[in-house]
Amino acid sequence: MRVARPAARSLFSRGLAAVAVTAAAPTTTTTTTAAAAPLSCRQFHSSSKLEARRRPRFSNIRAVEMGLVNEEKVQNFTEQKFKKYTPEEIKVLKTVYTPQQIEAIEAGEATIDPRDLTIQGRLRIDPYRLPYVDDFSHISPVIDKRPRREPPPDPNARFMNLDEFTEDLISWADSFRTGEVTGNLKKLKDFAPAEWQEKAEGVWPKEVRKKAHEDFMDYVKAEAAKKPAQAEEDGPTDADFLEYILERSSMTDNNRKSNSALAPGLPHKVPGVAGLYKHSVDPDDFGLDDTGVYQDLKRRTGMSVREILRLNTKILVRRFVSNQTRMGKVRSASVLCIAGNKDGWLGLGIAKSTDSETAVIKSRLLAIQNMRPVRRYENRTIYGTVTAKIGASVVELRSRPPGFGLRVSHRIFEMCRACGIQDLSAKFLRSHNPLNTVKATYEALMTQPDPEEIAIGRGKKLVDVRKVYYGGNVL
Amino acid sequence: MGIHSVANACAHLQNASRARLGLTSLPNNKYNLRLALALHKAGFLSCVTRGGPHPPPLDQLSSYTPEPITSKNVATSRLWVGLKYWDNEPVLKHLNAVSKPSRLVTSGLKDLERVSRGFPAGHLKGLNLGECLFLATDRGVMEVREAVERRLGGLVLARAS
Repeated sequence: MRVARPAARSLFSRGLAAVAVTAAAPTTTTTTTAAAAPLSCRQFHSSSKLEARRRPRFSNIRAVEMGLVNEEKVQNFTEQKFKKYTPEEIKVLKTVYTPQQIEAIEAGEATIDPRDLTIQGRLRIDPYRLPYVDDFSHISPVIDKRPRREPPPDPNARFMNLDEFTEDLISWADSFRTGEVTGNLKKLKDFAPAEWQEKAEGVWPKEVRKKAHEDFMDYVKAEAAKKPAQAEEDGPTDADFLEYILERSSMTDNNRKSNSALAPGLPHKVPGVAGLYKHSVDPDDFGLDDTGVYQDLKRRTGMSVREILRLNTKILVRRFVSNQTRMGKVRSASVLCIAGNKDGWLGLGIAKSTDSETAVIKSRLLAIQNMRPVRRYENRTIYGTVTAKIGASVVELRSRPPGFGLRVSHRIFEMCRACGIQDLSAKFLRSHNPLNTVKATYEALMTQPDPEEIAIGRGKKLVDVRKVYYGGNVL
Repeated sequence: MGIHSVANACAHLQNASRARLGLTSLPNNKYNLRLALALHKAGFLSCVTRGGPHPPPLDQLSSYTPEPITSKNVATSRLWVGLKYWDNEPVLKHLNAVSKPSRLVTSGLKDLERVSRGFPAGHLKGLNLGECLFLATDRGVMEVREAVERRLGGLVLARAS
């Protein structure tokens, strides 16, 4: 024996050792039993090993021995459980199924032995069994799949074009007409002789054409006379209209019913959105507004882009403001812009944006949009002395004689230049806040007194002495 | 009666006008009557009528004949004054007394000429567009332009616009 190395170390060699011991046992009388114990395999777990196959404490008794499945009982059970169709049931079935189906049912009944069902069939009796065996007469929506009585949708169907739609509408309307109307009306060729009916009207002989036209006109007049009476009797009801709107297919599938509520998928070649979302460039703009910045303004003001671009705009106040949030400061630019046409129109626009450029554009557009007429005396100065107050900024504007010039602060100077005022004196009486002074100046310019209104209110005649003195030649 | 009744009348008329009243009353005295008539002449008031503590009937404001003044009703008689509005705005927007009992402001012809042309003179600011200045002269209460025309100076009562 080869025992050169400790064999017990090895998993396999231990098994071999056991075999070797059992093989050697008959020959050797002394049994080295401890080593030769039936150590068949190594244990892979720590729980105690089962000694042998577990046997029940009481031996089973078979159903046959108890007399439960003898031939008679099987027979009884089968007859009770799997009854044959009675003649009355077959009569009822015949009202539901076709003769071929009845034949198939009978063939199936004959093929399957009820005894086999009893012995081999797995009939569930648990509370979760299905409520039927093989009865497809009722559909249980929870269990059964939705029946598809209609064929699948036509894959080649597409939406109708205008002509097809018109045709479809006419055919629908025709279905409500009983008399000879619309599509069923006779045509001109019906009044021509048979040999000319297939040919175009142009090749008809003159007398044939004339006669056909006369007959056709008579026929049309007669039809027109009797139409109203008919139209009251038949014609689509409101329900028909509703059905047309809701259920009539708008695709070229001949209103075929299908098993899917979904329309078939789009075809491979979809036209796409090319050109749909690009704004159309107005030829009246002469290419001045290809980016479309002024389109909205054009619509609001009624000015052309050329006129808008000709206006004078100027940024008067630019502030950097910040909104303190819990995330930190949100900085944005606030811009005040004025716009004027140098001829008595002035507008003010204030806009804010995190992007400085956006704020400038927005304020400029707003200023142009807000342009209002400014009353000007002799197209050069204002009427009287006007005062306006915004916040703590009080502005006093005073009219001045010709040639006085604009002796005003630089922001008011720009405003006056934009609206075409040439002679003015102004004073900030209190706060010099840039934004509020501009606003107050705008307010003052807009609230000038109107001499005519004053005259009407007092019932007096107001005379402009300058015009009287200079004989009306003041300008 | 001193100048204080004029100052009170000015404040009252301005308040009544801003409150959009149609008819209001002033105490019936000579100064008030003259100022009211001057204002009426300048077109700020629609009517000036003497009446009792109750307003005269509105449909006969022009043809109304008040009771003759006796010593019994003189204390309760009032001047009923109609206010004017145009284009949703009062015609008499501002009426400020210039002379007060504590300081009477008088002005000579030279100053009044400047003031009526819109330039400041002395204590008076120049007249603005549509502004009127009322003076009490020895020829009665009148507007500054009439006073200048008549070469008169006097006591400056009120500015109206």
